[in-house]
Amino acid sequence: MYHCRNCGVSRLPGAVKAYVRYVEAVNRVVGRLAMYLIFVMIGILLYSSFSRTFYNVPIVWVMEMGQFLLAAYYLLGGAYAMQIDGHVRMDLLYGRLSPRRKAFTDTITAFFLIFYLVVLLMGGISSTEYALTYGQKNYTAWGPPLAPIKIIMTVGIGLMLLQAVAIFFRDLARVRGEELE
Amino acid sequence: MSYELITLLMFSSLMLLLLTGQRVFGAIGFVAAAAALLLWGDGASEMPFNASFIVLNWYPLLTLPLFIYMGYMLSESGIANDLYKAFHVWMGPLSGGLAIGTIGLMVVISAMNGLSVAGMAIGASIALPELLRRGYDKIMVTGVIQAGSSLGILIPPSVVLVLYAMIARQPVLQLWLAGVVPGLIMAAFFAIYIYIRCRRNPALAPTLPPEDLDVGLREKLLLLRAGIAPLAIFFAMMGLFLMGVTSLVESAAVGAAAATLTALVKRRLTGHVLDETMRKTLSITCMFMWIILAALCFGAVYDGLGAKRAISALFLETWDLTPWEILIMMMVSFVILGMFLDDTAMLVIVAPLYVPLVISLGFNPIWFGVLYVMTCQVAYITPPFGYNLFLMRAMAPPEITLVDIYRSIVPFVFIMLITIGIVMAFPQLALWLPDLYAGR
Repeated sequence: MYHCRNCGVSRLPGAVKAYVRYVEAVNRVVGRLAMYLIFVMIGILLYSSFSRTFYNVPIVWVMEMGQFLLAAYYLLGGAYAMQIDGHVRMDLLYGRLSPRRKAFTDTITAFFLIFYLVVLLMGGISSTEYALTYGQKNYTAWGPPLAPIKIIMTVGIGLMLLQAVAIFFRDLARVRGEELE
Repeated sequence: MSYELITLLMFSSLMLLLLTGQRVFGAIGFVAAAAALLLWGDGASEMPFNASFIVLNWYPLLTLPLFIYMGYMLSESGIANDLYKAFHVWMGPLSGGLAIGTIGLMVVISAMNGLSVAGMAIGASIALPELLRRGYDKIMVTGVIQAGSSLGILIPPSVVLVLYAMIARQPVLQLWLAGVVPGLIMAAFFAIYIYIRCRRNPALAPTLPPEDLDVGLREKLLLLRAGIAPLAIFFAMMGLFLMGVTSLVESAAVGAAAATLTALVKRRLTGHVLDETMRKTLSITCMFMWIILAALCFGAVYDGLGAKRAISALFLETWDLTPWEILIMMMVSFVILGMFLDDTAMLVIVAPLYVPLVISLGFNPIWFGVLYVMTCQVAYITPPFGYNLFLMRAMAPPEITLVDIYRSIVPFVFIMLITIGIVMAFPQLALWLPDLYAGR
């Protein structure tokens, strides 16, 4: 593919580069914070079994809290996992391509990924709106409101979408013979 | 549009998208979301997100990140180094003894962890270099580690069986117990195969130098201490769970904490190790969870089309198959799908269709779960899509080529298929232990 060093035609605009840098920095921080949630999960589960066995006091909120933590863990961490290429691909054909050709196919198939994430995000937003308007609660002994976790989940999906677009720009740059740092 | 045509379109577009190398979760999610919107219009736009609430309500899924964390922690903790040494000295004199010892090591690790990740990481970092250094045949050794670590999902605890339990609505404990005997049989077959092959062709496994084998009985017995820590971890996890002290998810947390503690005691718990473990745990958990999320939506769309009825009509009326023929058809479809699709996605999409049919045909769903996991093991090591293959490629030393990795699995796939056949023919092998526990 033709690339002109001086005329600047093939270069991506500065705003795009800033977007990629900013989104990836945010997702890295969010992902690295989400990483620690594994210890929170281990912690509350141990606390719950300890309390039940030794003090005979079952903790009612542990099960739901565990579920909320797992949802936050993989939805907030998903974008960082994508950054470090943690999402598996079927590489029968893909694995044999050169890095540049990989980037080229990815710029095309990114449409499918982004389409899915947009539908996911729209669903998340409307579901969160519903939870906020009607004060939706879980029908359990603890009965927590569902809006907070829905907000966290939707934010995670939103970050995933931003990351997918950032990776699209990265691939586009690579196809044009430019590496974004 | 006819039902068959929609099925064909959904699965063929999924295969095509997977072949482009886009991330698996994206490919599945796109086909699911697009199909939902095309079939039912805007009203279906919440279907992908609703899947996240099904996931949210699957409490036992918490075992997934906990076991992944535990697997990496175990491989970092150095617990396997001592164990390997013990197996090395005790099994060394046999033909192919070190390879057989590696199978033993994999069984012990499988009993502490619910995935194949731990076995792969330990096998590739400790057993593989050691076996290569002693001149063992690289193709055989590569196969031993891939096949051996796949026992992680059959021998309890097993995350794949937890997932099956949630989808099929069967008790986890029964499923776990049902995996014990088939798992040990398969491990024994691996060992017998290695022994016979090395006996007939000693070049595959050179005998150890005498100074390696000349270990006093006292020292030999002292080496058995290496088994104490794994035994303690196994008891803390499975023992407390069996006695009903901890719940399923809590016992996974106990296991994770115990592995961390072991690493701490062995002075292996550096900041770097902790960071790596956390990062890999997040990355692998996210990979699995996003695939499950997308596959649930795919399954929901497919189910909304009335797939359950259509499948049983196809098998029972159109093709007029006997129950056993249907069962074999199902297993074959697992093996074929498993070559191209992630096994968790396959489980989420196909199991809800198959399990009710299996029950209505009069088969035992617990036994079917064990058969399913064994076909997953085959899927883990068969190309083009197999987790152990991916892990092996990422971890193998440079002298092991891709062709070596592919060739190495052939005999083990056969052994797995034979074991599946045996467990199909004699369901009691799987059901004996759970029945015994339930006091039936």
